[in-house]
Amino acid sequence: MFSPEGMTRVLIAATKSQMEPVIRELYRQNLFHIEEFVEKDSKEYEGYRIGTPLPAANETSRELIRLRGITSAFALSEGEGVSPGRREKVARLKEVIAKELPLLEKDIENLLGKKARLDTLIREYEQKIETLRPFQGVPFDLGLLRGFQMFSVFSGYVSRNLALDVPHEIFSVDTKRGTFIILIVHQKDRSAAEGALMDAQFVAVPVPDEEGVPATRIGYYEGQILAIRGEMEEINRNLSEMKARHGPLFLACHELLSADVEMAEAPLRFATTGESFVVEGWVPTAQLERLKEGIHYATGGKVFVYECEPAEVTDVPPTEYRNPGFAKPTEMLMDVYSRPRYTELDPTLLVSIIFPIFFGIILGDVGYGAVLLAMSLGLRRFLKGEEAGRLLAILRNASISSIIFGILFSEVFGFSLPWPPVLFSRHLNIGGHAGGHGPDVTGLMIMAVWIGILQITLGRVLGMVNHARQDHGSHRVKAVLANLGWIMVLWGILLMIWAAFSMPFMPDLSGLPPVVMGLNLSSLAGLAMIIVGVVFIALDSPLEIVELPTIMSHVLSYARLVGVGLSSVAIAMVVNFIAIGLIIEPQLESLNAVGVVLIIIGGVVLVIGHLLNTILGMLGGGLQSLRLQYVEFFTKFYKGGGKKYTPFGMRKRFTED
Amino acid sequence: MAETAAVAAAEMTVEMVKASQLGMKALGAGIAVGLTGIGTGLAEMAIGSAAVGATAENKDVFGLVLLLTVIPETIVIFGLVVGLLLLF
Repeated sequence: MFSPEGMTRVLIAATKSQMEPVIRELYRQNLFHIEEFVEKDSKEYEGYRIGTPLPAANETSRELIRLRGITSAFALSEGEGVSPGRREKVARLKEVIAKELPLLEKDIENLLGKKARLDTLIREYEQKIETLRPFQGVPFDLGLLRGFQMFSVFSGYVSRNLALDVPHEIFSVDTKRGTFIILIVHQKDRSAAEGALMDAQFVAVPVPDEEGVPATRIGYYEGQILAIRGEMEEINRNLSEMKARHGPLFLACHELLSADVEMAEAPLRFATTGESFVVEGWVPTAQLERLKEGIHYATGGKVFVYECEPAEVTDVPPTEYRNPGFAKPTEMLMDVYSRPRYTELDPTLLVSIIFPIFFGIILGDVGYGAVLLAMSLGLRRFLKGEEAGRLLAILRNASISSIIFGILFSEVFGFSLPWPPVLFSRHLNIGGHAGGHGPDVTGLMIMAVWIGILQITLGRVLGMVNHARQDHGSHRVKAVLANLGWIMVLWGILLMIWAAFSMPFMPDLSGLPPVVMGLNLSSLAGLAMIIVGVVFIALDSPLEIVELPTIMSHVLSYARLVGVGLSSVAIAMVVNFIAIGLIIEPQLESLNAVGVVLIIIGGVVLVIGHLLNTILGMLGGGLQSLRLQYVEFFTKFYKGGGKKYTPFGMRKRFTED
Repeated sequence: MAETAAVAAAEMTVEMVKASQLGMKALGAGIAVGLTGIGTGLAEMAIGSAAVGATAENKDVFGLVLLLTVIPETIVIFGLVVGLLLLF
């Protein structure tokens, strides 16, 4: 529960003729975490060499790449639209890959090619329309503007009046961009015309290479584009039909080919000699017998499988979580930080219990809890995928805890439930609700500090266990003592505080008779604990002494449980006061048309305000309580950095043997 | 006549002092939360931008940098604690 799945190092050796059956069996079982073989990089080295892929590798990967082309063109992926309900038989799939797939691929490639060509054609026509557009108002054939030897033709926009004193023909039409003109002058007057045009801020537009009246040509091209669009739609329809019909088949083929490629390339991770191969890896100890039997059966006993003794192994095994079902989703939060090392305590279970509690303390409100619970259950339909599912499960647990604490705090959307708070009151004196006792901030703070003291002590105890398990020699003793030292300093400080002040919900030791120098028994014991503790810490690492103030700051950091929680209550009550106390209630006294509108506005303010506060509460509650785990709790004992257990194989979703 | 006026003035003053003490407390709480908030913001500004950069290069560090980013949050929490203790 607190340690990961036990792993055994296994070494498999056989002749190369057994390579394929062994690979197939390992892949099928999906249990064996291969430790990659690394070739020694020296010229004289004459030992094992990295293996070469199986003969089928090249052909299969080419096939896979072609198939990937199609799946990416279809934007096919697991999850969307394609349910892995029906599984394809491998034997049938092989036939499909050999016979049907090439034909289908050709069809699809043709369609895609045609689509691309039509696309270019559309763009070409659009370009032509673009060049014709300025000439839209010109009522004559564009061919008339070309091929003169005696005349010069200017076409374009002018933004000022054109003053020309040479003989000319001009056509002009007013547009949004300015006046569009076509000017024809005698060749000998060209320079005079150019001067005049420049004065009129002329922007030239070349005459398009078209015959006929521009408006007609534009109409023609637009018609063409429309026709092509129709054709494209036809192609798209064909493609989506194919996607619907063959999508699952493509995904099944993809799965099969990926598996084949992975298997064919597995020897690259093996150590081989001329005639034999060796592969090393990890297997969950509980599954070891299954693996051995399977290999024995698959190869007729021609393979040597050796279990390494723990003493023979220097590598750290990969980590696979082993947690009860309800703690499984929390593994995601652990992976975000870092996967535990194999030898380390796995705190997933603790986090899966503490995280929702902290979330509940921060967002203790029946209303918000219910909204989040509904959200976590409702979103399950829309968000597929393992990660999303885990996140929603975490949210579900957190919101249930939030509802429970809401009942204890007697809160629903910032209002109070019909009973007084069982735990400390968090009701603030805001607006119309003034007159209550107000929040019991002292009580809440001391509760938070207690939670901090307990969790930090727990963290240090776990640190002692971790060091006792992982370290060796004198360092082990020192490290364990250092963790004990931290606990002693923390509780020593507490004893001294209790001896000096009397506080609610804390032991009151200030009444003890003074023993020496005005210090009572409790202070003396605290002082002794602090001194011994500091010595223990310094023995392990003197530099750690500068970290002593973190004892205070880490414990006080738990005050965020109260601070963030109270701010969320305050926002809820302010929203209620603004919406109900200031907008809705005054209208209810004398109802009229304006009043009804104002009441609706008040309702909107109420909903938006609480929506905002729900989101804030979820983010605040989630991040803050996660941070307390990561920073305040984990830093006491947790290192992480474990390797993920990735067995050689695949969970089949679309295929079956 | 003068005496009663002086007494009334003295009574007023006590009330005024009380009210102004309350106001001062609220001011103090506001300053505590506001300044620590600015402090946290300044600290998180640099860490946050570095964190986004680091995550863009390597997604695996997301957890670690999220952690580093929220570390200065403690400052504003202390401010909030002081503010709450002042007010209630």
